[in-house]
Amino acid sequence: MVVGDIATGTDVLVIGAGPGGYVAAIRAAQNGLDVTLVEKDAYGGTCLNYGCIPSKAYITATDVAHEAGNAEEMGIHADPAVDLAGMRDWKDGVVDQLTGGVEKLCKANGVNLVEGKASFADENKVRVAHGGEGQGSESIEFEHAIIATGSRPLQIPGFEFADDDVWSSRDALAAETLPESLVVVGAGYIGMELSTVFAKLGVEVTVVEMLDDVLPGYEDDVARVVKKRAEELGIAFNFGEAAQGWEESGAGGITVTTEDTEGEESTYSADKVLVAVGRSPVTDTLELDAAGVETDDKGFIPTDDQARTNVENIFAIGDVAGEPMLAHKASKEGIVAAEVAAGEPAALDYQAIPAAVFTDPEIATVGMTREEADEAGFSTVVGKFPFNASGRALTTGHADGFVRIVAEEDAGFILGAQIVGPEASELIAELTLAVEMGATLEDVASTIHTHPTLAEAVMEAAENAMGQAIHTLNR
Amino acid sequence: MGTKEFKLPDVGEGVAEGELVSWLVEAGDAVTEDQPVAEVETDKALVEVPSPYNGTVKELFAEEGEIVPVGNVIISFEVEGEGDEVDTTAAESEVEEEVQDLESDDEAAEAPKAPEGRVFAPPSARRLARELGVDITDVSGTGPGGRISDADVRAHAKGGDEPSEPAAGEPTAPETEAATGGAETAPATSQPAASRQQTLAVPATRRVAQELGVDLDAVPTDETRDGEAFVTAEQVRAFAENGQPAQAPAAASNGAATEAGARVETVPYRGVRRTIGNQMAKSKYTAPHVTHHDAVVIDELVDTRRDLKEIAEEKGTKLTYMAFVMKAIVAGLKEYPILNSELDEEAEEIRVKNYYNIGIAVATDAGLMVPVVKDVDKKGLLELADEVNDLASRARDRKITREEMQGGTFTITNFGAIGGEYATPIINVPETAILGLGGIEQRPVVQDGEVVAAHTLPLSLTIDHRVIDGAEAAAFTNTVMEYLENPTKLLL
Repeated sequence: MVVGDIATGTDVLVIGAGPGGYVAAIRAAQNGLDVTLVEKDAYGGTCLNYGCIPSKAYITATDVAHEAGNAEEMGIHADPAVDLAGMRDWKDGVVDQLTGGVEKLCKANGVNLVEGKASFADENKVRVAHGGEGQGSESIEFEHAIIATGSRPLQIPGFEFADDDVWSSRDALAAETLPESLVVVGAGYIGMELSTVFAKLGVEVTVVEMLDDVLPGYEDDVARVVKKRAEELGIAFNFGEAAQGWEESGAGGITVTTEDTEGEESTYSADKVLVAVGRSPVTDTLELDAAGVETDDKGFIPTDDQARTNVENIFAIGDVAGEPMLAHKASKEGIVAAEVAAGEPAALDYQAIPAAVFTDPEIATVGMTREEADEAGFSTVVGKFPFNASGRALTTGHADGFVRIVAEEDAGFILGAQIVGPEASELIAELTLAVEMGATLEDVASTIHTHPTLAEAVMEAAENAMGQAIHTLNR
Repeated sequence: MGTKEFKLPDVGEGVAEGELVSWLVEAGDAVTEDQPVAEVETDKALVEVPSPYNGTVKELFAEEGEIVPVGNVIISFEVEGEGDEVDTTAAESEVEEEVQDLESDDEAAEAPKAPEGRVFAPPSARRLARELGVDITDVSGTGPGGRISDADVRAHAKGGDEPSEPAAGEPTAPETEAATGGAETAPATSQPAASRQQTLAVPATRRVAQELGVDLDAVPTDETRDGEAFVTAEQVRAFAENGQPAQAPAAASNGAATEAGARVETVPYRGVRRTIGNQMAKSKYTAPHVTHHDAVVIDELVDTRRDLKEIAEEKGTKLTYMAFVMKAIVAGLKEYPILNSELDEEAEEIRVKNYYNIGIAVATDAGLMVPVVKDVDKKGLLELADEVNDLASRARDRKITREEMQGGTFTITNFGAIGGEYATPIINVPETAILGLGGIEQRPVVQDGEVVAAHTLPLSLTIDHRVIDGAEAAAFTNTVMEYLENPTKLLL
């Protein structure tokens, strides 16, 4: 690349190569458009590099270690030794394989890859600054732009991620040594997933949460199952306390100070503090004003049902376009934006976005809760099946939790589902399909499910809602 | 004050939907109970929907021209508060209850659609709807619980008020046929049109194609990209100049020449047309039809009518032959009552009617309608003539009510008014007989061994052979003919 500013042109410019951006780029290329994908850091974005994938690798690895060491009931006596460096290498290998795959896929589909940091010059041009000093920059003119810059961990006053003792989720997944003790600020899904990982690795974990329960946004009976298990793993919870700051204490440790609503202070000693209180959109580096793209007061870019921003030819997808910040939502929006750019009649018309939390046990939800369905004006019926009545769940040694289906009473249309229990993240797929297809309880209940599997619980919950369950008492 | 919603009521037996033809009120208007608020056309008739309340119109929920399923809320009213109910008279509270019953009955069935326009349809159907330019919330589903299928979306797109334009890149079958068919007869210079499923092109090319009205999938090309056919703007222009015009002669020779090249015009099969179709199919496929033909010499009737016509005109009545025919039919029915009957197969009963309500088939722009003249035996010629004229003209203007088209016991179809002698009329079920009238003309007849010209009326009587035998049909026809031949007998 030459020094200086050279201008090139493209049909579609995608900024950010995460699960929204690279999917959008590939689909746009598949539709015959000339596509340029700009990435400043790593292909695959947060999801593949610092989020979903590395955390799931750690969750699985720590499960293996923890289960092996806690299987006396099954007649297994073991005391696994965990080599954190080995675990990290394996995780990095998985990440490398996936990110390499993304790069290859983009190239194979004819996507032009450009490394650098993009910012808008106007509504038809970006400037891309390459790497370090002297690397130059280039201007790229585009017909359509798709903003897919994602989000970054939210920092709170008093806790700078720049400090070695203050971890973001990304730092936690890259740690080279295990702390003996860890304070986790935030009991949302990231805080709960990582607390579980470290607790299973033998770290003494203390969770501090401003609200009064774990996993805000999930129903009480769902969150309760996870909280109970977390407490069994030795995680200590302190609710109603806001983290105020930290300081070094003697012997390399730190002390975290919190304050409750009454103004009363508490202190917690640990080796490190992990702050997982949410994520904020990355829109501040894009010079959006130059293109006339508007953001809301939280920095998110409002979009319409075709993922368009207020500027006709500029789209925004994924975390920058607002909650829920989920990779699969980003991908769907990316596909729609790419198809709209290609002149196809695509739209974001999904009925529901499934969500999964990879705690122990897992939580997965789709569509409406009963309360939401009632509020929306449906007359609802619910069906529930507890995993302790599932033969397969008992044989896995994990029988906590349940499947619950919310349906419309008259025709039995499935409106939503909540699953907490083993493999909830996989089981939700069937019910997501049901919600999208407009399937009824009868459709699910009448479909033969393999025995013995966890998936039978879905069928049983549907039967229960119809008052026809075999393995539970019908209410 | 409270808000009351009002759902499109079941305006007639078995009516599932109606077209909201026009609103007679608008939001803010004060209305009194029973005041008509809307005109709704069902598959049978135009009806006025009365307001169930005294109050003020709050909101209208349907557009004029919209097809509204029975049970959908069409209008809401601001009504005086609950406290008033204590004082309402028994009669009023009954009405109130009825309305509420209707609401609660329908609520369950409607619930899946009500909240926030949630639509139960698979993603594939939703995408199809977008491609066809259909608002899926307007589509009524035929699947379990009203789930919407691809077929429902297509049916709506075809039957909708606005003809849907096929989305770019999605050729409809007829278009593709036109393109390829055109190419076959095209001059040798043009390339044969392609018909791919998918074509790649840059947006600029797609725009050119759209401007020139070219289907990208029909543009021939040798270029590919990633294994898919790839088309350039040049190719689109070339195709538009050479290949495309070839369509025109082909289409023109077909007689269906429109610029779009549509060789088939799609007409919705619904409303009155569909009702006619269903009725006809039901009749023809259940009742074994036998049609008896004969012709009656009516020279005398022609004279009689001519004489009476002037007197009638003075009284403001246009005296038609129809009135005489109706009288003659009643005379025939009185002698052969079996032709004035109805078959109830389920009850295993034939019901012979002792009253004479004669339906007259009327051709209207919307299709065939059959207004019924009640108690023909009790009415005079002038009265009958007036009534037939009035009903027929209101049927043509779609101003006729459902009730006026119900309760017939026998039907007349006067196809001869347009032309022709004999036909095989289809019985208007559940009746068991129908008489078709040919045109009244002078025709050669043999009288006293000589061929002479005489005014004749050809008759075509179709009977349901399950109920009526051929002998009865012939005997009935003979009686009718006797009366028409000698109209003075009608005086008896």
